[in-house]
Amino acid sequence: MKLDPENILKVRALTKSVQLEDKTLELLQPLDLNVNVGDTLAIVGSSGSGKTTLLSLLAGLDLPSSGEVYLKSNALHQFNEEQRSQVRANHVGFIFQQFLLINSLTALENVMLPAELANVSDAQQRGKDLLAQVGLSERADHYPSQLSGGEQQRVAIARAFISQPDILFADEPTGNLDSKTGQHIADLLFELNKKQGTTLVLVTHDQKLASRCQRQVEMDSGVLTEKITQPEVSVDIVTVEKVG
Amino acid sequence: MSANLSELGASNKSNLWIKQSLRLLHHEFRRGELTIICLAIVLAVATVFSLSGFSGQIKQALLTNSSTYIAADRVLRTSRVASDDVIDKSQFYDLKMAEKVETESMVFAGDNMLLSELSVISNSYPLRGELKVKQTIEQEESEVVHAPEPGSVWVELSVLSRLNIDIGDELEIGVASFEIKGIITDIPDRSYRAFIAGPTIIVNIADLAKTELVQPGSRLTYKYLFAGESDAIKSFEQWIKPQLNDTQRFYDAKQAQSRLSNTLTTAEKFLSLASMLGIVLAAVAVAVASRRYGQRHQPMVAVFKALGASLSHIRKLYYLHWSLLSLISISIGLIVGYCLLLLGINAIDSYLSLENTGLGYKPFSIAVITGLLCAIAFAIQPIKSLIKTSPLSVIRGFSNEKPPRFGLHQLPPLLALFALLMMFSQDLKMSLSLLIGGMVVSIILLAFGQGLMSAGRSVGSQAGKSWHLALANLKRRASENSVQLVSFTIAIKLLLLIVVMKNSIISEWQQQFPENTPNHYVMNIAENQLDSIGDFVNTNNIQSQGFYQVFRGRLSAVNGELLISRESNENSKSEDDELTKSENSEKENSSNEQNNAKTSDEENKPRQGMGRELGLTWRDELPYQNKLLEGQWWQKDEQQGQVSIESSIAERMSIKLGDELTFDLGGKTFTVPVTSIREVNWKSRQLNFIMVFNKPVLKDFPATYISAWMVPEQTKTALGLFFKEFPTVTMMDFGAILKQLYQVIEQVSIAIELILILVVLAGSLVLVAQVQASMEERERELAILRTLGAKGSLLRNSVLFEFVALGGIAGLMASVAMEIAVYFLQTQVFDMSASLHFSYWLLGIGVGAGFVGLVGLFSCWRLLQLSSVTLIRRTM
Repeated sequence: MKLDPENILKVRALTKSVQLEDKTLELLQPLDLNVNVGDTLAIVGSSGSGKTTLLSLLAGLDLPSSGEVYLKSNALHQFNEEQRSQVRANHVGFIFQQFLLINSLTALENVMLPAELANVSDAQQRGKDLLAQVGLSERADHYPSQLSGGEQQRVAIARAFISQPDILFADEPTGNLDSKTGQHIADLLFELNKKQGTTLVLVTHDQKLASRCQRQVEMDSGVLTEKITQPEVSVDIVTVEKVG
Repeated sequence: MSANLSELGASNKSNLWIKQSLRLLHHEFRRGELTIICLAIVLAVATVFSLSGFSGQIKQALLTNSSTYIAADRVLRTSRVASDDVIDKSQFYDLKMAEKVETESMVFAGDNMLLSELSVISNSYPLRGELKVKQTIEQEESEVVHAPEPGSVWVELSVLSRLNIDIGDELEIGVASFEIKGIITDIPDRSYRAFIAGPTIIVNIADLAKTELVQPGSRLTYKYLFAGESDAIKSFEQWIKPQLNDTQRFYDAKQAQSRLSNTLTTAEKFLSLASMLGIVLAAVAVAVASRRYGQRHQPMVAVFKALGASLSHIRKLYYLHWSLLSLISISIGLIVGYCLLLLGINAIDSYLSLENTGLGYKPFSIAVITGLLCAIAFAIQPIKSLIKTSPLSVIRGFSNEKPPRFGLHQLPPLLALFALLMMFSQDLKMSLSLLIGGMVVSIILLAFGQGLMSAGRSVGSQAGKSWHLALANLKRRASENSVQLVSFTIAIKLLLLIVVMKNSIISEWQQQFPENTPNHYVMNIAENQLDSIGDFVNTNNIQSQGFYQVFRGRLSAVNGELLISRESNENSKSEDDELTKSENSEKENSSNEQNNAKTSDEENKPRQGMGRELGLTWRDELPYQNKLLEGQWWQKDEQQGQVSIESSIAERMSIKLGDELTFDLGGKTFTVPVTSIREVNWKSRQLNFIMVFNKPVLKDFPATYISAWMVPEQTKTALGLFFKEFPTVTMMDFGAILKQLYQVIEQVSIAIELILILVVLAGSLVLVAQVQASMEERERELAILRTLGAKGSLLRNSVLFEFVALGGIAGLMASVAMEIAVYFLQTQVFDMSASLHFSYWLLGIGVGAGFVGLVGLFSCWRLLQLSSVTLIRRTM
């Protein structure tokens, strides 16, 4: 499918359902979504609304039950796990609510990890630079168990940006943090995002964090609805219709 | 109302822990989360059940089969007729009984005469094994028989040749005359004493009186043979043994024949060792699995406590959970063990002719106790730690809570392991050796392994290349890996140990009895017969060890001190030939030592002699397979008389280098100094001598010659002509006993192979369990790396390399540890000579790297089949 060069992410008629013992659970109703290069998009919704499920599909962490997902012209819905992994390595950064740092690596080593996977030669220098940017230069040799939650998330942010991804997915990045720390993390995230010009897709239930994004979409029981927040920003209308 | 509610709440709560425990057990079983721990306990119980039952059956079968070598389960040998009490008691215990009287006598056929060995037997002989006879020389098949009809005899072939008679002819024994009615082809309890009179003639005991051979002063040996149920035999043995005097012996097959005894004892020890190693491996598997069990349940306990569950509630919940889990596993283990046992017995039944006597309660009870011991002792620490999990862990996490490596908490499992080993083997030395050796090895391994892997930790995960990532992971996880390394190493070491010991034992047996092992001793050769007999050897392609002079003499004094000879009937000694030293004579002589010890406090008691005549010989060179321990061997042309003495005799008689020994040969005495002490390999079938002189000592004494031959089967018919031509020469045929020994070796080898399979299974499970445990720790990292875009090939290869490296290091350390253990076992337990086994190092490293690597790879491959989001969810 030929994409508008402005699109970095395009979704068509995406659904996800899971088979339980006696019934089928529809996690996502058919939805469409376009995200342009450089956009910051917040996916909001209450717990269990399907926002993390949607994020997983957009990032290529999972396969849809039906529909199409294109990330930088890569048809993720047709790729196997290996191919999707490659897409992630080349184009995607991640930040998770649980930080997901490797406990046996130091802060610096955790940050360097994506760059090493991509065989970047100056991974160590880049890692140090990014740790400095997130204010953790002096904690470079410390292990995750020696860092607070906020510090761990800062390391995770640094890790997410080291390979200069085209698109960054953040799943409740401040979910495990207190409001003050969360605020700092959010500031850091947006600051780095702006510096690198990365497209940001953010899942959150925090309205304040969501409002910092250019766009918001809302998930409610698997149904996606666009929330009009900034009239001056061009919006690709997301029409949500039940198919079938 | 509220009181009622609180009462209702209280009563609900009192059953809640039961419900929760059962629910937890049910869910976990369904989800397969208890597979490894269950398998470990099942394996421990199944291994013990099958091994104890199997080795018990094999030992019994070997002993039963070897009973054919004494034609009974037990033999009472005495120089007098046994009292009626003995007969009555044997009937009381419902034992079968046979009688045998042995003596030497001249027999006559016309003008010809021959000194023969008479075996006078009752109709029930033999009770075990088969006596075989053929009616004519040409007959191919032999018949299984008991005693000849009164008035007739059976003879060995050489009797016919030497007396120039045939079947049907008359033979005079004593004052009676008998008809020769058959040729003996197989005697189960053949006597192998050297310098026996001559060939064997079998007579019915009913005819003994009419020969009038029983006179005052006659040298007769009475043998009473007994056979029956194992328990009855043991009870009878317990009754009779305290009543025996010095001239009587009550023995089984092992005590009767030292070479067979050695073989059987070695086999039994090996079976015990293999089984014990199997138990150790199974116990290690339980220890590994129970540790994982504890770790896996920590989050649940933390949440329970955070929600307000009391310590008592959690304790009861998990004790019940663990108890039910153990009970189910033990039950399954018993069933699996029984099936394995039946399989094993079925597999070897055709080789060993196992008795259908049932297993008895012992394997079952040992297996149950093993299961309970493993379930309790190895789980105490993990469950205690589990119950102590802090509720704060729900916030802070669990990864840092580890018990100290060394401490009192390791006492219960060590004690349990020791109890298991002792219960199984009842051998304190072997049990302690395994336990202490294992502990020492583990400590060294921990330190060495950690040092090896953490050397030179470099910055970065080196995630770019698989091999770099693997090495970096090894070093980063040096502490955790060192524990896993010890498990791998112990498992591989024990497997190597079993394989090496098995091959060493079998190889040593085969070396003792190679294909060209002499199967005939030829004695009483006169000097003027040497050339002719040499021609006979050459003509008939007989392999000969050469001809050696032998003199019969007695050691009469040491350093001028006359020796007291214990009055003994030579017939009451072991039936081993004198040319090879008998461990039985050591045992008999140990009773002499006890007598010496008793009398040592008394003054001026004379030194004890050897109690019998010796075969003496001279040599220019150190005899084959003799090792010089002290002193020097003489030069060929030295004229000064010297003697070299065998080391164990020297030790027993406190004879040192330089001592002057006086010998009495045919009434003439001479004294020579001891100039060397030798170690003799009595296990070989070479011609071995306790005393060896240099040539000048014996040159003036009359001698006969002796030789050892390997007579091929097809040449045996030519021996008939040999006897005709050389009627005065004595020949002993060892073919039968060699055949018996080969059979035992073959049977035991098969049994050992089967036990090896079980032990290998146990070892494999330990490796798998440990790899699984370590894969769980790696799962989170794999999930993160996968999410960040690591290629599947990178992850698989890095896991493969890491496990290959771990397995290879473990294999190397296992090989070193194995050599140390094998050295100890060979020299201290199995009485073998020590040797190195470098080829097995390659096997250890290869198996370690290959097996561990492949299992790790397979586990990783399974994980990578899952989607990234599933992987991430599993780690949360």
